Amino acid sequence: MSPRKFGRRSIVSGVAVALVWGAAVALRAGAPQESALGQDPRSADQLAKDAYDIFKKSCIECHGPAKEGGLDLRTEEGLQKGGRNGKAVVAHKPMESLIYKAVMHDGDLWMPEDADKLPEASLRTIQLWIESGGSLATVPEAMGGAVVDLEDLRKRELRPITEEERNDWAYKAPVRHQVPTVSRAGWSSNPIDGFLLDAMTKKGLTPVGPADRRTLIRRVYLDVLGLPPTPAEVEAFVADRSADAWLRLVDRLLASPHYGERWARHWMDLVRYADSGGYEFDVDRPEMYRYRDYLINAFNTDKPYDLFVKEQLAGDEIAPESDEAMIATGFLRLGPEGGGNRLDAVDDLVSTTTLTFLGMTVGCARCHNHKFDPIPQMDYYRIQSIFYPTTAVEHALVPAHDVAAHRDATQKIETQLKPLRAKKTDIEQPYHQIIIDREIAKLPEYLQTAWHTPADKRTEGQRLNVRQIEDTLGLSSLRKLVREEHLIELMPGAVKAQHADVKAQIATLDRQKPRRLPTARAIGERGPEPQPVHFLHRGSPDAPGSAVTPGVLSVAHRGEWTFPAPPAGATSSWRRRGFAEWLVQKDNPLTARVMVNRLWQHHFGEGIVRTPSSFGKMGEAPSHPELLDWLAVEFVDRGWSMKAMHRLMLTSQAYQMASTDTSANYAIDPENRMFWRMPRVRLEAEVIRDHIMATSGTLNLTVGGPAMFPYIDPDLFEKSSNRNWDGLPDSDPATWRRSLYVFSKRSIRYPMFETFDQPNLINSIDRRNRTTIAPQALILMNNQMVLFQVGRFAERVRAEAGADPTQQVRHAVYLALGRPADALELQKGAEFIAGSSEGLTEFCHILFNLNEFLYRP
Amino acid sequence: MLWSRRELLGRLGGGVAGLAFADLLGQQPRNPLAPKAPTIPARAKAVISIFCYGGVSHIDTWDPKPDLVKWQGETMQGVGEVRTVMGNPGGLMPSPWTFRKHGQSGIAVSELFPHMAEHVDDIALIRSMYGVSPAHGPALFQMNTGTILAGSPSVGSWVTYGLGSENQNLPGFIVFTDHRGGPINGPPNWSNGYLPAAYQGTQIRDTGSPIVDLKPPADRTEDEQRRWLRMLHEMNEKYGDNHPLDTELSTRVYSYELAFRMQTHAPEAIDISRESDATKNLYGVGVEPTDYFGRQALMARRLVERGVRYVQIFSGGGNFEPSWDAHWDLKGNHGLHCAETDKPLAGLIKDLKSRGMFDETLIVWHGEFGRLPISERMDGRDHNNKGFSVWLAGGGVKGGTVVGATDHYGYAAAENPKSIYELHATIQHLMGIDYEKSTYRFNGRDMRLTDVHGRVIREILA
Repeated sequence: MSPRKFGRRSIVSGVAVALVWGAAVALRAGAPQESALGQDPRSADQLAKDAYDIFKKSCIECHGPAKEGGLDLRTEEGLQKGGRNGKAVVAHKPMESLIYKAVMHDGDLWMPEDADKLPEASLRTIQLWIESGGSLATVPEAMGGAVVDLEDLRKRELRPITEEERNDWAYKAPVRHQVPTVSRAGWSSNPIDGFLLDAMTKKGLTPVGPADRRTLIRRVYLDVLGLPPTPAEVEAFVADRSADAWLRLVDRLLASPHYGERWARHWMDLVRYADSGGYEFDVDRPEMYRYRDYLINAFNTDKPYDLFVKEQLAGDEIAPESDEAMIATGFLRLGPEGGGNRLDAVDDLVSTTTLTFLGMTVGCARCHNHKFDPIPQMDYYRIQSIFYPTTAVEHALVPAHDVAAHRDATQKIETQLKPLRAKKTDIEQPYHQIIIDREIAKLPEYLQTAWHTPADKRTEGQRLNVRQIEDTLGLSSLRKLVREEHLIELMPGAVKAQHADVKAQIATLDRQKPRRLPTARAIGERGPEPQPVHFLHRGSPDAPGSAVTPGVLSVAHRGEWTFPAPPAGATSSWRRRGFAEWLVQKDNPLTARVMVNRLWQHHFGEGIVRTPSSFGKMGEAPSHPELLDWLAVEFVDRGWSMKAMHRLMLTSQAYQMASTDTSANYAIDPENRMFWRMPRVRLEAEVIRDHIMATSGTLNLTVGGPAMFPYIDPDLFEKSSNRNWDGLPDSDPATWRRSLYVFSKRSIRYPMFETFDQPNLINSIDRRNRTTIAPQALILMNNQMVLFQVGRFAERVRAEAGADPTQQVRHAVYLALGRPADALELQKGAEFIAGSSEGLTEFCHILFNLNEFLYRP
Repeated sequence: MLWSRRELLGRLGGGVAGLAFADLLGQQPRNPLAPKAPTIPARAKAVISIFCYGGVSHIDTWDPKPDLVKWQGETMQGVGEVRTVMGNPGGLMPSPWTFRKHGQSGIAVSELFPHMAEHVDDIALIRSMYGVSPAHGPALFQMNTGTILAGSPSVGSWVTYGLGSENQNLPGFIVFTDHRGGPINGPPNWSNGYLPAAYQGTQIRDTGSPIVDLKPPADRTEDEQRRWLRMLHEMNEKYGDNHPLDTELSTRVYSYELAFRMQTHAPEAIDISRESDATKNLYGVGVEPTDYFGRQALMARRLVERGVRYVQIFSGGGNFEPSWDAHWDLKGNHGLHCAETDKPLAGLIKDLKSRGMFDETLIVWHGEFGRLPISERMDGRDHNNKGFSVWLAGGGVKGGTVVGATDHYGYAAAENPKSIYELHATIQHLMGIDYEKSTYRFNGRDMRLTDVHGRVIREILA
């Protein structure tokens, strides 16, 4: 459509606009043909379509099916009807149209609520569209079609769960099955053994015999603490022939503070723990470690698992006055930041939460009903609505009056700073102008023309270019074309001195600002009544369906779960609290099963369900469903005590079996699914590093505190962007701490950890890969940290065993492997040591590379 | 499979009992990088990926928009809302460079690429790529892993996962970064994601030991190292004898042999001093500004020649000027980065051709997005994910092809738009991987590079 057709209208609207804007009267009235509408080549139809696109994108979430304020912008009918505040549009009169005033932030209503003002181009589109008539009649979607579509879509939102689906093993509440009676000596007292042996017998398998004591103590130390036993501990256990020696050992380990470190690390895999945000800026999170320390403490104090779950999901709603509970909500602050939008971030919370606590891939139902499991897309959005209202809270770890005092002190200084900053700008201004004039002269002609055209005569393009030039030549421009020192160079001496004086005053005040208060990364909400969350067809924000209420996994719960209403004065919706309560209520079929399976998985090398975060159809069925049930029921009955479950598992005969192969069993069950032997498990990355330091005698066993930065080859990161890693040298004792205290930076991974299969810090990981690749050998052979520790190990051996090579072999093997060297090793080892000037160091180095060193027996 | 368990046990002195068990059960040591047969006919054996980090302005290189001169200083009309990443958009800004048609195909190329212009008939140019995000971090992830979100395996990881590698003495997936810095996001750009660690990209460095931790301690001679390894194997033997069915243990023993061999093979593989002067000249080695990238391109050829599956070179690093991220001074920025890479890229094509390798090597060239036709900070261009150019050359690619087009401003893909999923599906397809069937189960889902999307860009297949 040609501009001419709208000529008259644009004159009218030009005047209308001018009247309101006052200052622009002369221009607008004098040059009506320059009205914006006249200049814009878009037809009225196109404008309507563009405006509708803006509504769909930025408004319809609330002014759609939710009809907030009674306004529905999905249809022409809804638009013309307006809302509770009256008409939304007045044709041809933007300044009288509530919609336009609201998006312009002109008046009481500022839209969109809780979001940035719309970009200028959108504001303009809405203005022009109203000038051209303010109707959506030419947009097919807005003319009834959409309503029909939405009704139709809404019907598709629901996906009923069939009885058959509910009867799948994972969704039926676990029951305490009868423990099978077995007759094998020693295998009848612990129920675990009864279930396992019964299943073995049915398959024609025979459990291998018990492991020897040295194997047992090495196994249980590496398993429960992630540390090797000292030779003295080994000998004491070997010598202890009392009936309860094993039980006492198990209890001693479960009481060790290092137990919590070990099991916190397992949990950190699930919650994709990291000390930075990832993506482009990978911002450090120096306070995140408080959550890691919360985990260590929770395991060490045997915090009941139900409380552990509740605190992480809803600590702020359960015990807002408790620093510990607030720190626990750091669970919801662990996700990477900087990629995707809010919906993606919430998706990450939904996925991680449901994988971790329920062992279900609810994240798969974001765009459609889950393809394999009975997880309706509606469940996804109902669960999403639990997390959508969350907002970041930096929880101050000091009393409230200290927080107030801190704020007041900061404000006081800010008040003093303001006039000083203004004064500084005033001094700089004339010199800045000189530089601006100089730079303008260098620009291409069309830009100079734009610059010199009076502001009221500039075309839209010229206006943009001038604004861009102003910004680029400003002192705060990223381009740094004009810098403060350039202005200072131009200042006469007296002015220079005055300028320096003001700067000094500012700097002094800046230094007086109080230091940051200690905080924890925590979570909260903006109030008890969150914004509605909508079902999104195909996961698209452009296709919102019904507003949803919070809900739980429908296949795992009959009927509606009642979410608690927030009490008066609550600052949040209590949805997370309600969800956490559902997770740990007695009938939940998944929570206890999933967690006991995780404990089992770490003790026995593999889970009873070998896909510990996928209890659905894409995962594996349990090898021992009745045992899993029994354990789950027992877990809850024992007050969700994790230590009780550890103890039960560790004191089974099954745990104390040898790890030797027998060909008869192997032929029937090569994957050891029936647990007819204990598996050998390659140590995790962190345990290998800890084991090396424990053996060399350097390991500092301090528990908790801020993360540390061991040396990383600068070639691997320094050249990338503005991120950095100030690694301490390997000889610095500050780095000789357990591996879970190494700073977990998402874009700068500690190479040894990455190579030995530490998860990527981004995804929730239920079972680490256990690869065997040449780069692992390269690290253990050549890495500086390893070589440094080898040196310390050799020094230790020399100091403790003396100069005799045979004694050195004996001692070194004892320290590294927890057993006496055999005759052949003594002989060959001594020859090896004697064969070279660096023989002892090289021998010590070999020990760190042995399979026996790297595997839990 | 490179070695059988029998050979392995023979080499390493495994027990006879072990052999019997292994034969009984048909067990093989697992080498995750052993070459695997393509599942569909392969057109190429290796990929060389050139990543112009920061985002190349298509309007100034491969996608001429002469009308911009006419509209300079004006705003774009009818394109909807223009979103800029850095804010403060300017008016339209014409390219400071001129374009000329080249080759039989007559494809117009900017004067920034005089050497590559001679090879337009070798490349398939896609002028209608688009991505999801205009921010570097997510866009790099999308170009490298298919999704804007972190945590997924990179294309190089998927390709080595699908095909293994032809050379067991070198990593299967090798990455070169720019001397001025790596791309933002860092190593997650070449991460194996949730795939096993064997498939992660290995960074090759230009100074010192080419691979981190490759070189033995300085004071250890090769003889001493052999003595060391022999002793290690002897001590491992007893432990292995107690666990004759455990192939993982023998695989670990073998990994030390591999690591030992890698120590000699990796330095040799990237030692370009063994190349003739004529070859070095092709790549602009020894001459500025092409020396650095030229060396990397030449090393890439040597690696591919030795059976490495996937080599990725990042041109540009750090922030702003040192990368292709021309937020200002487009002329200086693209002038430099094009001059650094133009001759080496043309040299790579010539060299591959002369060695008969061009038809079995797939070259893929792109940034993480293009740049806007309007100005930023007076003489730069902001990010543009809505439309940009990429090209492919070599194995299975129909040279002299142009696919798709952007609108008359060069703002958005307008004709035949191509998603990054489609690019990835095409790379996998040319390599002999069925992009819909190469999956890996993770957290209850069968994951794949192109998620539920993708389609092979058939227009560019030879």
